[in-house]
Amino acid sequence: MSNETFSSSNRIFKELFDEIAKVIVGQHEAVEQMLIAILCNSHALVESNPGLAKTLTISTISKALDLKFNRIQCTPDLMPSDITGTYIIEDVGGKKQYRFEPGPVFSNIVLADEINRASPKTQSAMLEAMQEKQVTVGNKTYPLDKPFFVLATQNPIEMEGTYPLPEAQLDRFLLKILMDYPSFEDENEIVNRYTRNIVPSVERVVSKSEVLELQRLTRDVPIAEDIKNRAIKIVTATRAQGENIEYGASPRASIGIILAAKARALMHGRNYVSEEDINAMAYPVLRHRIILTFESERKGMTTDQVVSNILKKVK
Amino acid sequence: MNDFLDAFLKIQSEYFRRMQLLFILDLFSIFSIFYAIFIIFNVQYFLEQSSLYEYLPNSIIKIITPVLALIIAIVGALLLHKNDHKVNVLLITEKKYPELKEKLRTAYDNRNETNVIIDSLKSLVLSGLTVVSASKLLSTGVIVTKIVITVIFISAATTVSLNPEKYTIPPETITNFTKAVTGDTGEDTNMTIDAGSSPDDQTGADKNGSGNIFGKPKIASLEGRNIDLTIFEGIGPGYNVKEASQEQNQFTTSPVFPADVLGSNVSDGGYSTLMKKTADEKKLIEDYAVKRS
Repeated sequence: MSNETFSSSNRIFKELFDEIAKVIVGQHEAVEQMLIAILCNSHALVESNPGLAKTLTISTISKALDLKFNRIQCTPDLMPSDITGTYIIEDVGGKKQYRFEPGPVFSNIVLADEINRASPKTQSAMLEAMQEKQVTVGNKTYPLDKPFFVLATQNPIEMEGTYPLPEAQLDRFLLKILMDYPSFEDENEIVNRYTRNIVPSVERVVSKSEVLELQRLTRDVPIAEDIKNRAIKIVTATRAQGENIEYGASPRASIGIILAAKARALMHGRNYVSEEDINAMAYPVLRHRIILTFESERKGMTTDQVVSNILKKVK
Repeated sequence: MNDFLDAFLKIQSEYFRRMQLLFILDLFSIFSIFYAIFIIFNVQYFLEQSSLYEYLPNSIIKIITPVLALIIAIVGALLLHKNDHKVNVLLITEKKYPELKEKLRTAYDNRNETNVIIDSLKSLVLSGLTVVSASKLLSTGVIVTKIVITVIFISAATTVSLNPEKYTIPPETITNFTKAVTGDTGEDTNMTIDAGSSPDDQTGADKNGSGNIFGKPKIASLEGRNIDLTIFEGIGPGYNVKEASQEQNQFTTSPVFPADVLGSNVSDGGYSTLMKKTADEKKLIEDYAVKRS
């Protein structure tokens, strides 16, 4: 199975991107990073302005991967049980009994839209499910289906009435993906596609078991010692660079960079991790794990600029 | 599954063999250069002039120049090749063969791991290594050039050592040059011992400095003229060779001049009469004489 999946992985990823591209115009990097997060069996946080097809992208990916998809629109009055599920009373043969009704978190891919609008209590319930890959309701624990991937979104504007995620909880997301506005050509294509009667649709490319196999293969991708050391140096450099950084990234970031680099290598048809993978994945892995100093923020510096400086310095 | 490792280790050992050859060539080159320099600058002579000469046996003195050149050659070659062991053949191979970039070191670092991806990488690296040759990592041209240079140096050193009188710079020239550089303008600037003179001219003297100091002929060069400084026993007018006597010279005292002073016949007595007077009388006479003067 491994051999077959690996030998056909090039074809799988090519077909996957082609299939997703039927629905999503552009945003190749964002799609790639979402798939990387899925391959790493982790979660991603997407930050973009409204109307950039976040929901469409992730629902398209779930269809192409043949995975169950649920969306949770987070609001301040969203309760933890609204996510995890709750016990309901039902009548079975004239006898009333409790039955657990799973919440939307019982899915393979969950889109937690505008997660920063949910109350901290609900956020915690969501993040606990992400971390433990199981849900405890009452005194019973329910494991979540595999693969389990949460794509949480945040709106960078309209911050009123939101509960920004604490840094400790941000750290649980492997990647922070930025989606930018499409180019003129891409937007022209978007308009052409979505102003017709025929709505683009996507076909299944891989099965759930193949996704799980790809997740396993991702961890098998070998990495050279010096490349691994460089990834660790990049992360430790975030802790040392006091000029621009208030707080650096945790060791979880080192794991994240290497794992994401492995997934990227597999996706690019390589059977080894390249320095190029480390450089590419350093941005989405570190950008939400670095807290800039007030002075840096005042100057309008972004975490990506700081990461870029670190990448130039670390040999 | 680690066939690639065998192939790589073979290339690596071939590379290090070539590095060893370069080390030996450098050793010979440096030895030849310094040995020739020592002969040209007559280092042997200057060593004999140093205090070291007295403490070393003659047999060692004769081989001290080549030994010194060999020591310098070993040190020099070791310094030149001190980083050889740090050479990473993996990185050199990857640099020379970009198609193996990152693959070779990844496969090498994960040589003990096995899974479908690593195995495929190892196979890929093995096929890549088939075209790798140590001669491309360490160019044969470099080795040939070094061999030619070494042969030239060895030939030059052999020529110089076989005809030292032809290539050796006279010690006085070196001394003059040294003095000119250091600004020493002493009277005996031009007087030095001729290089051709035998160091055996003091063979009669033992280490304590005693014995026959009149040894074999000695030539001194004074203002361009060679002067024979040989002291021949019993030759020359009134010349007689004697051993220095250990007994002290006995001096004979000269006849003492009479210490008495002749009187002027003005006084009633001579100087001896005056000397017989008491201290008070002498004082009175002295005061009188001072006043009179």
